[in-house]
Amino acid sequence: MPEVLKAPLVVEFPFTRSLGPVQSAFLTGLRERVVLGVRTGDGRTLVPPVEYDPVTAEELRDLVEVAPTGTVTTWAWNHAPRRGQPLDTPFGWALVRLDGADTSLLHALDAPGPDVLRTGMRVRIRWAAERSGAITDIACFEPYDGDPAESGAHSGEFEDTVTGIVAPARLDYTYSPGRAQSAYLGALSERRTVGERCPSCRKVYVPPRGACPTCGVATAEQVEVGPRGTVTTFCIVNIKAKNLDIEVPYVYAHIALDGADLALHGRIGGIPYDQVRMGLRVEPVWTPGARHPDHYRPTGEPDADYESYKELL
Amino acid sequence: MSKESVAVTGIGQTKHVAARRDVSIAGLVREAARRALEDAALTWADIDAVVIGKAPDFFEGVMMPELYLADALGAVGKPMLRVHTAGSVGGSTALVAANLVAARVHRTVLTLAYEKQSESNAMWGLSLPIPFQQPLLAGAGGFFAPHIRAYMRRSGAPDTVGSLVAYKDRRNALKNPYAHLHEHDITLEKVQSSPMLWDPIRYSETCPSSDGACAMVLTDRAGAARSPRPPAWMLGGAMRSEPTLFAGKDFVSPQAGKDCAADVYRQAGVADPRRDIDAVEMYVPFSWYEPMWLENLGFAEQGEGWKLTESGVTELDGDLPVNMSGGVLSTNPIGASGMIRFAEAALQVRGQAGEHQVDGARRVLGHAYGGGSQFFSMWLVGDRPPTS
Repeated sequence: MPEVLKAPLVVEFPFTRSLGPVQSAFLTGLRERVVLGVRTGDGRTLVPPVEYDPVTAEELRDLVEVAPTGTVTTWAWNHAPRRGQPLDTPFGWALVRLDGADTSLLHALDAPGPDVLRTGMRVRIRWAAERSGAITDIACFEPYDGDPAESGAHSGEFEDTVTGIVAPARLDYTYSPGRAQSAYLGALSERRTVGERCPSCRKVYVPPRGACPTCGVATAEQVEVGPRGTVTTFCIVNIKAKNLDIEVPYVYAHIALDGADLALHGRIGGIPYDQVRMGLRVEPVWTPGARHPDHYRPTGEPDADYESYKELL
Repeated sequence: MSKESVAVTGIGQTKHVAARRDVSIAGLVREAARRALEDAALTWADIDAVVIGKAPDFFEGVMMPELYLADALGAVGKPMLRVHTAGSVGGSTALVAANLVAARVHRTVLTLAYEKQSESNAMWGLSLPIPFQQPLLAGAGGFFAPHIRAYMRRSGAPDTVGSLVAYKDRRNALKNPYAHLHEHDITLEKVQSSPMLWDPIRYSETCPSSDGACAMVLTDRAGAARSPRPPAWMLGGAMRSEPTLFAGKDFVSPQAGKDCAADVYRQAGVADPRRDIDAVEMYVPFSWYEPMWLENLGFAEQGEGWKLTESGVTELDGDLPVNMSGGVLSTNPIGASGMIRFAEAALQVRGQAGEHQVDGARRVLGHAYGGGSQFFSMWLVGDRPPTS
């Protein structure tokens, strides 16, 4: 059995967040070195603040300032900080109840080692030198043995408020196309197209996925199809996609390779885009080093009869 | 024991727009939920459970957003469920909520669906670069355009039918204060001369990208009796799915869609949908899907759906109005779009659709589909409770 392929897949996007009134005040406050909580119906102060009362569901808008000092309510040691974390040396993740707050805020706690951390220890905010209205305006917490800091009495009203943030997200996967696709890709490297036949309905799947989605049984019998095929339907793409190096307009087509029981998708070339038609007979065009056919071009055969491909659109 | 009857007694929507930068996601869903509660004259305490839906998490990049939204939806201490079936999710979310009432698990359920598309980029979210695959396309339009061409070939429909749908839906949207697109200067010529994006789909025949939420209060007969406004009654509801791609798949008229509609009609005692149903809110993200779904849902024979559109039957004052609200073509917060169809169907039978009300609408179908035409959800609502 050929080797099953694997490759890294990184999914990354800078999401934007509209903050709404409460988070807007909270993050603008951090920029100004002010920590704001919100007062609930039962008189508690929640830090970080939320927009809606967790008990009554009522809207919360009563912002109150709390102190930049507080108490660790629990913690865990992070031996190996990863990319994008608040500190690049080992640190503690701590829940800190700021003086004046009834709930705890999660942040990094800078300390020489886990031995010095304990529940109940006193800490204070270390502010970032440059602040923009983000949770990272708190660089981290640090041990503190002075008196509780006075909380100010900020109203939560600011000029030039932060109304949105950008939250970059990144996920690292290892992608494997599986046995059937790996075999398909292996055959493509020899410029052959090999699908798999369902043992139950006898349909030939190209590309194969290792199972028949209709019958729910594994497929294994390999069947070479093509190389020629029929354009069963298509569209003309006039939008240049950022991540695609294809000039527009181009034709994106469903192509039923001879012997296949469903169409695969490919680009049509070697013919003006406005002359492509359903039923056009095509063959793959390979370029050196490419995994897939670059595109399909007309074979010059007469067009296929609609009846011959109408189930393969 | 027979099923409990399910009534819609509260409906709330946000004004759908391109970007709601003034609210968080929590603030957005809250707005729709509050309006639904006010419509039903209920408070958070009257709600027994919350069922929420949205499209893929990638669209806003908040993983499991239902956890963070529990406070905003008054769900603390109550069951809260999330439903996900791609673009049809708004419909399937409503049906999961309805089933909880029908099964007498809960008496009054708040159901809500939303999308805040301005926080991301759906085209990106749908076009991840998968290793070993050849990148050929970006976005949904290129995926659906070949199927539309297949429909045109199969039915022999004239090229202009798609533009007629877009022109109708955009004019209907002018009568709906919650619709995203309000193109006051729309003309048929403008639709027909808009740029061809994915031939045969023109720019004006595609849906917008919207921020919005839609909520409904579903309740049992006792709850409906206390409702200050006329309820809408669920007469039938069903979901079906099928694989995205399989040998023999009919993208023009998927079997799962036909089966889903047949199930709804059987439950509701509908023998002839064309005769027995007064209006339809169907999921039409690209204009040509109106004639395609008219056939799939049994309102026309195969290949004949475009004739209903072309002859004006689906106009607001036609014999079978379709997408009175302006439809997905005028408003598309993806996760909410299906629920908006369901809610607009309910508004019609309650007689509360305002300027886009169809006179005498007694039985109206709400329809949603999603993925690569692989998930379907539908309900039929009426102005009277089911007889059986």
